[in-house]
Amino acid sequence: MAGSMAHAADRDDKLQQLFVAEPYLELHEGPGRGYAVTQVVPRGESIDVLYRRTEWFRVRTRRGIEGWASEKAMRKMLLADGSPFEFDLGNRDGFTSHHWELGIAAGDYGGATLIGSRVSYSFNEQLSLELTGSQFLGNASDGYAAELGLAHVYRPDWWVSPLLTLGTGAIWIHPKTTTVNTPDRSDQTAYAGAGVRVYVTRRFFLRGEFRHHLVFTSRDANEEINEWKLELAFFF
Amino acid sequence: METRARLLLLSLAVSLLAGCASMRPAPPDEQSAADTAAEEPDSAPPRVIEPEVERRKIKVAKIDADNIELGGNYGFLSIEDFGSNASWGVTAAYHVTEDFFFQGSFGRSRASKTSYEILGGNVQLLTPAERRFTYYSLSLGYNLLPGEVYIGRSLAMNSALYLIGGIGSTKFAGDQRFSLNFGAGYRLLPTDWMAIHIDVQDRVFRTDILGTQKLVNNLGANIGLTFFF
Repeated sequence: MAGSMAHAADRDDKLQQLFVAEPYLELHEGPGRGYAVTQVVPRGESIDVLYRRTEWFRVRTRRGIEGWASEKAMRKMLLADGSPFEFDLGNRDGFTSHHWELGIAAGDYGGATLIGSRVSYSFNEQLSLELTGSQFLGNASDGYAAELGLAHVYRPDWWVSPLLTLGTGAIWIHPKTTTVNTPDRSDQTAYAGAGVRVYVTRRFFLRGEFRHHLVFTSRDANEEINEWKLELAFFF
Repeated sequence: METRARLLLLSLAVSLLAGCASMRPAPPDEQSAADTAAEEPDSAPPRVIEPEVERRKIKVAKIDADNIELGGNYGFLSIEDFGSNASWGVTAAYHVTEDFFFQGSFGRSRASKTSYEILGGNVQLLTPAERRFTYYSLSLGYNLLPGEVYIGRSLAMNSALYLIGGIGSTKFAGDQRFSLNFGAGYRLLPTDWMAIHIDVQDRVFRTDILGTQKLVNNLGANIGLTFFF
């Protein structure tokens, strides 16, 4: 348990060593503001950082006592050379420049109910590579879609910013009708879309998006599907 | 007169010699000693050696983030009109902040017979394949009551009561339906990297299995074990 005596306090060189610069550093029992403070580390003493969970750092004192220190307290710690300890915070700065995003979406896919998820990796503040997986459930048919594309955020530093998307993928459609024996089919798709992303708080943001899909069917005419969705996402 | 001239020449010679002697350059150590002596009265700080070594740049070690929680669960699911049945599932969660987490889950159960089928003798409403109940959901969780529990005199465990709700889809009776799930759970952490879960969730969707379109509630209770990475 947190706060219990750990093994011999032999320093592991791979762990980050930090020094307390404030009068003292409070160590909580668990990774949350509600958990009790059971230990304090006085100014000048060093600690080792074991790992991080959300906004909390699991640390070990020189005496081998472990506990959780808050992100806010850790911002005031110093490195061995006296420079401040810096790390990424889940705030507006992180919203402007981050690498990974994960989101859950619900919406409409050509008249069917849409459930979607998205993971994206940002090359820079504006451009990212996105992988979207969706399931659509309609009265006439249901199926899945998987797409890979690029997204461009117009102004990443803005609280509300427009974005453009472009990509390609595949769709698997399973017709529900029992009167006509229509087989399942899979086709290649391409899409172009536009949307807007809005910063909410901490690591969360909302994203609304419209995508116009072109389904390259084996029939004479290609199929066009419009998709609307609202997504709750976070960055890390 | 002669003595006076001699005296004058002699004194001139002595003064010249003394002048030459004073003009003679002093040996280096004498010179620096003289300089130091000259500087001392000014009370200037002693000359220190300027270090020419670059201050070592401290490399910040990479700190592991263990926000991912993976695990499985087992319990029962009460499928509306089809009795209570054993169910199992797997979950993957990402803890975004100390309060919120995203969770993806997948689970399965198998419906038993309706009372109509049992009483009706040889009546079969669903084929064995259609009796399979499969769901997945994407949910957002909120740690409502974080706390600590004490077991006995020397054991304390962190815990949290959380609310969870999300969207997903359920496949049952040969039909795939959009479903909503919501419920509450209790997370108990014997260690910081392992958690025991007890959760109760309702899975709601519209279906017309029994002829008329209706909203069905499928309550499930699970006990699970998860690990943080």
